[in-house]
Amino acid sequence: MKRRNAARSAVRVRRAFAGAALAAGAAALIVVRRRNAAAGLRGEAGLRGEAGPRGAAGPRGGAGLRLRRGIAALRLAARGGARYASNAPRLFAAAGENRERLRTDLALQTAEDVAVTLGAMKGVLMKLGQMASYVDDGLSPAVRRTLSRLQDSVPPMSPELAAGVITEELGLPPERAFARWDPEPIAAASIGQVHRAMTHDGHAVAVKVQYPGIAESMAADLDNVALLRRMLKVTAPSQDVNALVTELRDRVLEELDYRREADNQERMADYYDGHPTIHIPRIVGELSARRVVTSELSGGARWAEMTSWSQEERDLAAETIYRFVFRSLYGAHAFNGDPHPGNYLFHGGGRVTFLDFGLVKHFTTDELRPLVAMVRNLCVENDPEAFRRAMEEAGFLVPNAPLSTDVVVDHLAVFYQTVREPGRLTITGDYASAVVRRFFDLRSPVAAYVSVPRSYVILQRINLGLFALLGELNATANWRAIAEEIWPFVRGPASTPIGEAEAAWCASRAATRSLA
Amino acid sequence: MTAEAYAAAAGLVERSAAAYVAGVPDDPADAGFFGPDSVTWRVSTDLGRPVAGLRALMLQALHPLAMAGVDQHSNWRMDPVGRLAATSGYLATITFGDRAAAERAAARVRRIHEHITGTDTITGQRYQASDPALLLWVHATLVESGIVAAGMFGTALSAQDADGYAAEMVAAAELVGVPAGQVPASLSDLDSYLSAARPGLRCTPAAAESMAYLLDPPGLDEDVAEIWADIRDGVVAALPSWARDMYGYAAPPLTPARQTEIRQALGVLDAVFLGEPGVLEARQRITLRMRAARRP
Repeated sequence: MKRRNAARSAVRVRRAFAGAALAAGAAALIVVRRRNAAAGLRGEAGLRGEAGPRGAAGPRGGAGLRLRRGIAALRLAARGGARYASNAPRLFAAAGENRERLRTDLALQTAEDVAVTLGAMKGVLMKLGQMASYVDDGLSPAVRRTLSRLQDSVPPMSPELAAGVITEELGLPPERAFARWDPEPIAAASIGQVHRAMTHDGHAVAVKVQYPGIAESMAADLDNVALLRRMLKVTAPSQDVNALVTELRDRVLEELDYRREADNQERMADYYDGHPTIHIPRIVGELSARRVVTSELSGGARWAEMTSWSQEERDLAAETIYRFVFRSLYGAHAFNGDPHPGNYLFHGGGRVTFLDFGLVKHFTTDELRPLVAMVRNLCVENDPEAFRRAMEEAGFLVPNAPLSTDVVVDHLAVFYQTVREPGRLTITGDYASAVVRRFFDLRSPVAAYVSVPRSYVILQRINLGLFALLGELNATANWRAIAEEIWPFVRGPASTPIGEAEAAWCASRAATRSLA
Repeated sequence: MTAEAYAAAAGLVERSAAAYVAGVPDDPADAGFFGPDSVTWRVSTDLGRPVAGLRALMLQALHPLAMAGVDQHSNWRMDPVGRLAATSGYLATITFGDRAAAERAAARVRRIHEHITGTDTITGQRYQASDPALLLWVHATLVESGIVAAGMFGTALSAQDADGYAAEMVAAAELVGVPAGQVPASLSDLDSYLSAARPGLRCTPAAAESMAYLLDPPGLDEDVAEIWADIRDGVVAALPSWARDMYGYAAPPLTPARQTEIRQALGVLDAVFLGEPGVLEARQRITLRMRAARRP
């Protein structure tokens, strides 16, 4: 009975939101799903677009994510979004109402609760868990389990606690700062949670709210570089631990200030403005602050749902993700270090909304140059010696290592395999695993001479994260041709329908720029 | 006897966690001897808890007869990890279990103690594990260590709560067979008792060896060993200076920065503990019961 009431009130909320969205001229009817229990995924918005793509097939739900191997599975398990949902089967096996009550009872009610739950290094460990793809196979099973369980151990904030943060940050309680405010969080987020709301001018928005006190306590914990270094030495013996610690520390510190994320997201939204398949939600600046970030609410299918779509649809989605990663790198000189399934919403036809810009690395031209030289020399010029010199220049390879260049190329070519030869190629889960295994292969004669310089630590996610995702989709494309479109030293012709639309966007972008 | 080697400490976290989880019931018949609104529950969930436990063991070992009983009878040398896990499970049971579970666990401990008698080779004294005087020493060091460790590395207890904790814990002493009238029931009574006991203490070879093992257990899983070093420093720093002197450990002053580092290491250990099967659920059961008790 009680459950039916809850369902009814959920319907009411839905109608109210949908009605307002329509009134505001929103194109799509937005259906709000309160919790994406089936997917075990995270996102800014637990939303599902009404209009799925043609050709979508297969039952939703229950499928979950079957990212089978190392990194991807770990990243998911250790990921913020797995949190609320993954608690369900264990603690909340009981019926819905009971589960709801338990979750409410466990909610963090005070800043002290936050400190006990996430203080004393635990928040930092949780972040490391989220970034675990850096250190993937270096992780012992115990550490892996620890990081993933730590995610589960963090309950949401109580509505009052979250409202308190809004009041402190925006100067008004949420019911006044927003026209409508849903006190129930819809998703876990990086060191916070996401609420739905509607602005006074009628826009549906996602509001990310940070746990109170967490920034201060994590900043203090990140000062203990010695402990971090020791922890990571155990988990990542193959990497330059000092570089890793410093880079992780800086990135996490940045992430504690949501204003930076808002800035990153707005810059990316500007860059991709008008793009045919890449959509970045706009930030609502006046409703964002250090611990609150408000952005346009997006609909769309979650990753788990999209994986049940037809292979053509999955290939198109993969193509857009691939274009986004490399166009951001070569065009915007920025890289979103968080290629995580929870950060995408899919709309069919290869259209993808990209969420969460908390972990963006900006590259200087100097930092980018050796990367460009590497790929160019290996894949386009076919000049292994120049490739090797570029690697040495970037600091990936110790100069004058007693290794033949053939051995070096042999070891590292796996990272470039998708773009060395033209032609259509399927990225399988096995390929993704091979990339990961190669990265952490300590027995290779090359391993002793390879290192990841600090500036590029975050870039490893391209290999370790992107390929895991594309492998999960079993995605097929002519990756080389797409890469040639994007490589600044080639600027090849459009090779796909999306490529053609993108070329038109590039042209109009260039025209707008020259006008300005 | 003392030449006998200790078994490796692999599995320390896993086995302690399993024992702990077993001690936290799903559906207790009653609130047990303390209850979710007790100071005892708070101290038992405090971040400083591991330091409290190890500090208590170090003090307990300085009683020659207590140490002899452990050294000569228990499986301490053969299976130190099992012994520590059993203690952690016992404490969880009497704290979070219902009265029946606590009484069953205590009855079992009392039965085992019945058979532990002998002569300490160092002092030549006879001992009996069921001797209330020995049990009281074990009890008092545990309670005092809980207060000290919370103050240094966890959430400090107010003077009133420290007294409350000592008073509540009288029930724990009774469970193992100490008459309530003999048990210090306030912080000042505890301090007087511990001071009075000092002349009888001694760092025997068995104590020195046991504690050296405890502070640097060989075979500890690598990721735990990394943080154990910090926690060991915390334990040594938390000891009363006279006890540290008896063991001959150096006492580097505990700077605020070092104190923070040890707290952080305790947080990491806690995270590792949470990673063990069932621990998160056990913690959530405890949290739910404490929340329910807190609600007006």
